[in-house]
Amino acid sequence: MDALLSVEDFTMHYRTKAGWVQAVDGVSFALKRGQALGLVGESGCGKTSVAMSIMRLLPYNAEIKHGRITLGGRDVYAMASEEFRQVRWKEISMIFQAAMNALNPVYTVGSQIVEAIVEHEPETTEEQARRRVAELFDLVGIPADRADHYPHEYSGGMKQRAVIAMALACNPSLIIADEPTTALDVIVQDKILREMEEIRRRINMSMIYISHDISVIAEVSDIVGVMYAGKLMEIGEADDVFKRPRHPYTYGLMHAYPSILGAKRDLATIPGEPPNLMAPPAGCRFNPRCDRATDECRAVEPKLIKAGPEHRIACHNPVWTPSSGGERVGAAR
Amino acid sequence: MTELATSPDMGRGPEKQLPRFDPGITEPIWKIRWKMNMRSLAQNWEIFKESRVGMSGLIIIIAFGAFGLLWPIMINFVWDPLIYHPVVGFDPMLMHPSPPVAGHLLGTDPIGRDILAQLMFSTGREFLLGMLSAVISVVVGTFIGAMAAYYGGFTDTIFMRVADIVMLFPFVPLLVVIGSMIRLSIFPFAIILGFLEAFGGITVILKAQALQVKVRPYIDAARVAGGSDLHIIRAHIIPNVLPLSFLYMMFNVTAAIVSEATLSFFGILNIDMSWGMMIHTAETAGYLFDFGKFWWLWAPSGFFITLFCAAFYMVGRGLDEVVNPRLRKR
Amino acid sequence: MIPGHARAGGPSGALRPAPRFGREQLKARVITMRRYMLGRVGQLVLTLLIYMTMVYFLMQAMPGDISQVYLANPRIPQAARLELKKQLGLDRPPFFQYLSYIKNFFTGNLGVSFSHYPRPVWDILVERLPRTIVLFVTANCLSFYVGFVLGRIIAWQRGATVDRMATVVGITFWTAFYPLLSLILIWLFAFTLNRLPLNQFIEPALWIKAPFTSNTVFGYMVLGASVIALAVFLIFWVFRRGLRRTRRSAAMAWAMTAGVIGLAIWIAHATGTLIYIWDIIRHMILPVCTLTLINFAGTMLLMRDSMLETVQEDYVMAARAKGLPDNVVRDRYAARNALLPTVTSLVLSLASSMSGGLVTETMFSWPGIGQVLFRAAIGNDYPLATGALVFTGVFLLVAHFVADVLYAFLDPRISYTGQPAAEG
Repeated sequence: MDALLSVEDFTMHYRTKAGWVQAVDGVSFALKRGQALGLVGESGCGKTSVAMSIMRLLPYNAEIKHGRITLGGRDVYAMASEEFRQVRWKEISMIFQAAMNALNPVYTVGSQIVEAIVEHEPETTEEQARRRVAELFDLVGIPADRADHYPHEYSGGMKQRAVIAMALACNPSLIIADEPTTALDVIVQDKILREMEEIRRRINMSMIYISHDISVIAEVSDIVGVMYAGKLMEIGEADDVFKRPRHPYTYGLMHAYPSILGAKRDLATIPGEPPNLMAPPAGCRFNPRCDRATDECRAVEPKLIKAGPEHRIACHNPVWTPSSGGERVGAAR
Repeated sequence: MTELATSPDMGRGPEKQLPRFDPGITEPIWKIRWKMNMRSLAQNWEIFKESRVGMSGLIIIIAFGAFGLLWPIMINFVWDPLIYHPVVGFDPMLMHPSPPVAGHLLGTDPIGRDILAQLMFSTGREFLLGMLSAVISVVVGTFIGAMAAYYGGFTDTIFMRVADIVMLFPFVPLLVVIGSMIRLSIFPFAIILGFLEAFGGITVILKAQALQVKVRPYIDAARVAGGSDLHIIRAHIIPNVLPLSFLYMMFNVTAAIVSEATLSFFGILNIDMSWGMMIHTAETAGYLFDFGKFWWLWAPSGFFITLFCAAFYMVGRGLDEVVNPRLRKR
Repeated sequence: MIPGHARAGGPSGALRPAPRFGREQLKARVITMRRYMLGRVGQLVLTLLIYMTMVYFLMQAMPGDISQVYLANPRIPQAARLELKKQLGLDRPPFFQYLSYIKNFFTGNLGVSFSHYPRPVWDILVERLPRTIVLFVTANCLSFYVGFVLGRIIAWQRGATVDRMATVVGITFWTAFYPLLSLILIWLFAFTLNRLPLNQFIEPALWIKAPFTSNTVFGYMVLGASVIALAVFLIFWVFRRGLRRTRRSAAMAWAMTAGVIGLAIWIAHATGTLIYIWDIIRHMILPVCTLTLINFAGTMLLMRDSMLETVQEDYVMAARAKGLPDNVVRDRYAARNALLPTVTSLVLSLASSMSGGLVTETMFSWPGIGQVLFRAAIGNDYPLATGALVFTGVFLLVAHFVADVLYAFLDPRISYTGQPAAEG
């Protein structure tokens, strides 16, 4: 099957007074219909910028240096803005980072969803749209009669569900969920994630999950991309990345989170701070914090190379994990 | 967990010697505080400089200041006080009102006084009036706002109710009534205006700001450290409200000047000369019905009032960008 | 909303589940809204009493109190003077004087004007009040609307030439010396272009043969204008859904509006009042324009600033992501939320707008409360000045209340707690 979304060598910088911020640099990945991609990385590593690039919601000072994004075969940035407006929500929708604030406080929640439906399906009457809202609320587990309430009358978890319902309103083929559950407590977080995953599988939709929390990504993704300082460090099938991480950063990230069920062990930390994206270090951007860094790492920027059938990494000295088959792929240059 | 509940040196044998905290500070505390204030001032100045509106306003104010400072020089060394005195001067060589001529660059008014001299003389007094009333309103308003926010409860209720009522006062009608009974001169006028402003909207706004400061952890820290109420208000709350106070001071200068000019224009104040008075003179003498012909009677002073107010307003807008980061140019 | 208002109407009613597409919920909202308003009315009455007290003591504190004017006349003999003092109640303790002042106000007795002797103050003020209200309300609504629309546009195009120009023009008008501004307008339109009447309320030459008094016509005019405004509001409310979606219902709404106005003109024509109404309207144009010019810039600049904040909110981004058209995102999301702080400051600036109204009335000889107040103050007509000051206060209180209620309708968060709820 053809890729629903493909991002090819996408590079986007922000212009600021102090200089260019290299927020997204040479990111490429592809997503098939029905797949879930998880993007993970520390805050400020460019995950949200990738999401906004796909939604074409970049701020005025963003500049696309090169690369392209295609959605269902059409170049996102080649479309007329009116044409892309029709694509939004109908084909890709989004669950925002701070769902709390993604609802307009002066209108009822239901009417905000109705608005989106009516906008994209002009033949739908308001009555039908309201019925759809009731169905959607059932789906995400909000009592349907709450549709006529204002956002401030909702609890945090309910707002989150409402925002999910809103994202589902026009049956999009792709939903980008940017930190969908970060603001919620762990129990609600887990519940909502499971429900979202169930809905996604039921209607065979694609999804991009963005989170700094690797356990969230682990729970729901088919494919996992690890970002660091605006670059994609490692991408591959979830099993590969989590069971046999090759990139030292991924390795560090995985050991920086405790596992509730796993064996008790000391949490490893990654020393140092993420680099300043205005003047990222030469060579591999991770090299100042990497315990495996060599002179090569400090001079040559690693490209994404194959480390398995569906597994690519950008590293000169990948971690050799016994279960990865015993060959050291990355350094072969 | 129980270990944490007891203090660390109870029954635990010889403690490890903790390194003494000595960051090598030798300067007295006030000097450090002074330096920090200077640094934050410098930062705010950098932001303010970015605002084109604010900078234009500042330049205009400085120009006005220079113009006002010219007055003592001109009247003492250059101009003949008999001819150029702003209130009792008279030039016997001309028909009045005279259009601009060599000796009177902006002409003379209906009773033979030099317009430029009047403008120059009034500038200093407008500064005095505006600043005095604004400083009173902001000092009083900041203090009341900080008190109301800090103590809350009864104090808060009283001041907020008073503010509600003062905000209801239509200032100009009120001042018209007061002014028609007591001939207010410039100082009482500035003081009344200052207090009216202080108890009104400015208290409410500054209180809201002070409330946000009050809930910050360092206020609790200061209280735990034994700071008295007055100390906390003075050292922690007021400095954090100050930028906003300063902003409203600029807006209050505008309000004071406009009120003065309006009341002077109606001839209600006991002020011998001001920009508003100049227009009043022209109007009562009936020259304003032929606007275009006698432009020098009203245009310079009218322009000055507007420009002066606009300058302070613009500085206020510039400061707004310092206080409110979301307004800044991105 | 002014922070610090007492909580009117508790948080009950919030989060109560309601049946599908809730009638019950609406009822709950109406009940809390009603409770909120009752609380506000109570506060207003209290405020009014305090305000009247302050005005009273202010007048008492003035040198040369009311009695002096009557009693200073040397031709009145001492005995008559004392008798007069007794008649006026000035021999009683101050507190009782104060009580009778309050009582008299609520029974509509404000004494007799000196300068309009022997007309009672109450009569004069009741005659003048509608004129002030019409001027004030028209100009404020107009300036608010103009400021709102312009502010919305310039905030949306931040940094563009339009933005810069509008800011400069706005600051100029906002700080303009308005007596001079009105003189310039009079000079330009009435004197030089000779297009509009010079000033005053009516053209005496036209009215001398009129079969009605100007007050009657004006009364009908105000009534008619209110009915038209209500009708237009209803029309647009009925069509509110369709307006955004179809061109046909927009056309219908506009046609019906035109019909209502046409009908009103026809009625005026049939009763023979049309030329007189037109005369009053012509006299209104300049003062209304002046007041609008003075006031619009404040709203515009505020709207711009507050919208610059709302455009950065997540819900605006979300609206864009939803693929809503640009103007919908601007109007229903960014501008709609920016409206709230703008209305708050409108409430706060009502009093200063009233001050501007007084100046405008005096400049244009518009015979309203402001002009009366000004003349009474100059002419030492204490009863009239006191009455006018109190009336101004009452009028501002009512305006305050209306703006508060409007705010409660605009912000759904307010009706439950009495003040805007914090998000979250």
